[in-house]
Amino acid sequence: MAAEIKSNTDTVRWPAGIRLPVMLTFEHQAGEGAPLFAGERPNYMVGGAIQYGARRGIWNILELLEKYRVKATFFVLGTTAEKYPETVQEAVKAGHEIAGMGYGFASIRTASEEQERENVRRSAKVLEDIAGVKICGWRCPDYRVSPKTLDILAEEGLAWDSSLLNDELPYLFETRAKKIVEIPFTTSTADKTYVGYPYPQRGGPDGLTSVWNNELDVLYQESEKAPRLMNLSLQTWATGRPATLRVLGRLLERLVGHEEFRFAQCNEVAAWRLNSTER
Amino acid sequence: MWNEKGYRKSFRWPEGVRLPIAISVHHQSEEATCPMPDGQPDPFDYSERQYGARRGAWRLLNIMGRHGVRGTWLICGATLEKYPEVSRAVQKAGHCIAGHTYAHEMMCNMPPDTETALIKKTVLVFEDLLGEHIRGWRTCFASHNTLDLLLEHSDIEWDGSMWNDDLPSLIEGHGREMLEIPFATYSDTALGVDITNPAFPPSRFSTWNANPPDFMLRGLKSAFDALYERGAERAVMMPLVVHDFITGRPFRSKVLDEFLIYAKQFEGVIFTGHDELARWARQSGEFGRE
Repeated sequence: MAAEIKSNTDTVRWPAGIRLPVMLTFEHQAGEGAPLFAGERPNYMVGGAIQYGARRGIWNILELLEKYRVKATFFVLGTTAEKYPETVQEAVKAGHEIAGMGYGFASIRTASEEQERENVRRSAKVLEDIAGVKICGWRCPDYRVSPKTLDILAEEGLAWDSSLLNDELPYLFETRAKKIVEIPFTTSTADKTYVGYPYPQRGGPDGLTSVWNNELDVLYQESEKAPRLMNLSLQTWATGRPATLRVLGRLLERLVGHEEFRFAQCNEVAAWRLNSTER
Repeated sequence: MWNEKGYRKSFRWPEGVRLPIAISVHHQSEEATCPMPDGQPDPFDYSERQYGARRGAWRLLNIMGRHGVRGTWLICGATLEKYPEVSRAVQKAGHCIAGHTYAHEMMCNMPPDTETALIKKTVLVFEDLLGEHIRGWRTCFASHNTLDLLLEHSDIEWDGSMWNDDLPSLIEGHGREMLEIPFATYSDTALGVDITNPAFPPSRFSTWNANPPDFMLRGLKSAFDALYERGAERAVMMPLVVHDFITGRPFRSKVLDEFLIYAKQFEGVIFTGHDELARWARQSGEFGRE
């Protein structure tokens, strides 16, 4: 079982000139995990609201990112890539990073090692076939890892994982195969926590604005003395809606054009983490 | 059995104390992780909570230090064992340290001998790892036996497990007495986050059901305003609860920061620990029938 290499969290160093890296990590799905009614009947209310991300949301998001010239990471479900290939191809063309998050929203927490490995391989192959990219990283769709997840990802050649929520800086695990970088995130600042499910939404767009502004204020202040990282988990079905899109746009207004901030993709952050260790 | 003497209307804090605020930091990290339907711990919930000891507790300690504010840290025995460096820093900073059960057990489901064993085990962890003989205790999910067991099997001087009053009561039984210092809904769980179980949501896209920080700050300020106003005539207190894994997140830590900036402007607002509240309550002596 993978074991954390202890005491290496605070030793991460960003490249010179970067005070606070900011990561936008989008999860892109088409309603595969939405609950069904009894007898496998579709739930078009929840399912349709998630499907929005693949039909419309991601296009709105790509347009906004293009406007501000921001590069992000998109975690894509294999099934979503099959159903909406042009969304993934367009993201690749725009320079965004594509990473895996499984196939068909299958939960791997209690899966066998073979099932879990097959899930990783199938997702990687679908994304390679459709978008021409070889994925380097992973996030479990329901954020529920198995005890073998990190071992399997490393054995399948992936460099980093972003399924854990227990820190705010990247750190290393020793696995059966090689070292793997963990880039933690949190649902506490995720769009869907305030403008997603369950209803009624607790925050609304203004509430989400206060979440992201506060997060940036505090991390910016703390980054004066210690390394910090702002990693936002976003759903194409939640942030893609015009009201939430405007919240993200206002955050980008605060960040773009200031050299202390640097939009970073997971691959870069993973490399920075590894380089810090060698120093 | 025990006998309770409630506070009288004439109960007063010492001269100059108009509104004592006791911040309780629940340093429990992943101890209360929710189970999946199959009974196994939820890895998502575990990881989100584990942020508490790895990051959140340090941030809360820094904020309290920056504001020069003393409070009470309620620490699970298991959390102290796994992350002793946090508790040592808390101790060094001079906060009141109290026990918060061993692994955040649901004592309401436990037979009395199990609860007694867990109380004793936790007390020993603090002695072994911190050299600290704890005098305070909080069980979030108390049993009908909790107060009896504390009186009979410990020398705990104050308990903070009850949610049922505004001010302390005197609890007598088993040949001794202790203070019950109740807590309230001025907390990050009441105002901010429903952490009861993300594994049973209406859909798999749910997380913790959360209010945004602007709502939390508004809630704290309006509670403070009401208590401060009432404090001109009557004794009041504000037991404010924050969790390492909830308010320890950067964006929520700013709520605490801004609340402290706000509350410190008012004369007679005192930040202190439950140990001092217990001492003041004892000095007041205003318990029993009117």
